[in-house]
Amino acid sequence: MIDAQSVSKSYGSVQALNNLQFQIDAGSCFGLVGPNGAGKSTFIKILVGILQKFDGDIQVFNKSVKQRRLAVKNFIGYVPQDICLEEFLTAKGNLIYFGKLYGLSGEHLRKRIHTVLDQIGLTDKANQKVTEFSGGMKRSLNIGCAILHQPSLVVLDEPTVGIDPQSRHAIFNLIQQLKEKGSTVIYSSHYMEEVEQICNSVGFIDKGKLVEHGSMQHVLNKHRNASIFISADGISKEELSVYGETIEQKNGFTVNCDDPLLTMGKMVEQFWQNGINPERLELSHTRLEDIFFYLTGTQLRDNG
Amino acid sequence: MWAITTVELKKQLQDKGIWFWTFILPIIFIVGFIAIFSGMNEMEPEQLVTQIVPGYIIMFSFFIMISMVVTFLKARDSGMVARVASTPLPLERFLIGKWLPFFIIVILQIVVLLLFGVIVYDLPLGDPVALTVISFMLAFLSTSWGMAMSLLVKTENMGIALTQVIALGGAVLGGLWMPLEIMPNTMQLIAKFLPQYWALEGFQTILQDDGHVIDIGLSLLILLGFSLVGCVISFVSYPHFLRQSRS
Repeated sequence: MIDAQSVSKSYGSVQALNNLQFQIDAGSCFGLVGPNGAGKSTFIKILVGILQKFDGDIQVFNKSVKQRRLAVKNFIGYVPQDICLEEFLTAKGNLIYFGKLYGLSGEHLRKRIHTVLDQIGLTDKANQKVTEFSGGMKRSLNIGCAILHQPSLVVLDEPTVGIDPQSRHAIFNLIQQLKEKGSTVIYSSHYMEEVEQICNSVGFIDKGKLVEHGSMQHVLNKHRNASIFISADGISKEELSVYGETIEQKNGFTVNCDDPLLTMGKMVEQFWQNGINPERLELSHTRLEDIFFYLTGTQLRDNG
Repeated sequence: MWAITTVELKKQLQDKGIWFWTFILPIIFIVGFIAIFSGMNEMEPEQLVTQIVPGYIIMFSFFIMISMVVTFLKARDSGMVARVASTPLPLERFLIGKWLPFFIIVILQIVVLLLFGVIVYDLPLGDPVALTVISFMLAFLSTSWGMAMSLLVKTENMGIALTQVIALGGAVLGGLWMPLEIMPNTMQLIAKFLPQYWALEGFQTILQDDGHVIDIGLSLLILLGFSLVGCVISFVSYPHFLRQSRS
């Protein structure tokens, strides 16, 4: 289990993290989301041992990152947002390099390189220089270098930035494999649909505070705000307002209501009686992105 | 640590710039200045060679600081420093791993330039043990200062400018370009506060006076002191450097 215990961190007068407190179950895939400058990267930097001065503590599988930093680093595979590879080396050369940094050597390292190259789909490119790789291949190798030592906790910071759908799909498969093998995964991303798709728990950070967290289902249920989208000729906002809060959209109306199925039935009945033939009548579900905007607002944030 | 050293050394040896600063430019300077000064009658040919060859070896050994600054800042800005910091590699091994390739390059530089002096100008080498010790100490000095500066400066341009101040300023004030005896007393006094002066003293004691390790003890101690200052600054500056690293 990963246990963040009252983690706080300031940069001068700026409070980057403010008493962050939550747990991540072993074997789960935890999505860490929040706007730019919310504190996600600061939390990750503390967790992986890059930032060493902070208040509170984080226990990683019962070991304190403050007191047992080097031991904790052995448990963690960190995939940074930037591609951190030695460009003049081959894929295999990079895996050897990072393997040695994690203390692997000899036959064990050779076997792990073979396995990881297979996992990331780069076996036939093993002896090719990284400079010749596509963005997606570099991203895969970036992950490969982090999982070589078979970490119990894999921390991925925006691993799918700037890659094509095929590469993204390959990375998702890789994360799926990690989950199946029992690794705990922390997945930080701005892409809400990715987090919703691959994570089974989620935490929202904003302005250094954890504003919501829990299992994905719990969070989605908690913020469920079902609505109905209607597009039809001859219908007005006033007529629809009797069913709930109605918002005029570009090509129709959205009606927010407590019991969307029942409301939809009533609407169909009314449309039938009034001879209205709707072009579109859809039930909308709450998505993680809606919750993100609800919790963090829609105002633009500074980078950082 | 060895993984970092090996990769860094390979990377540096592929860099054509380092070959120019380390070997080609110093040879051009040595040849040029010996040609200019040999036309003057103030110095004996042997005195000229034992002044200019070690003088330029010392001055150009400081140019390694440019390559060090470029390498460290590139690693900082690419996120590699933070990435390595997330591995279980202890800090001191990271710094030593990064520093060692440059130390090896400066040793190579000193060997090549001394050999050039021997082959072309009959430079007397003196006691090989003393020469090895002073060479190692010079390499330690320039690379420890290089590492300290790499971890302190914010931009490459700042690092290059400071290197030039240290290398060229230290060369002028430390008597690397011309014998201190022909300089005013104040300049001679200032020189004694600079490591370049003590490095030259050490080399000249070995090359001109056939001195041994015991004869260059003071020079070695002073060079060691200056080098340790560089190491301490590096270790103290590293956390700040890491915080600045992209991640």
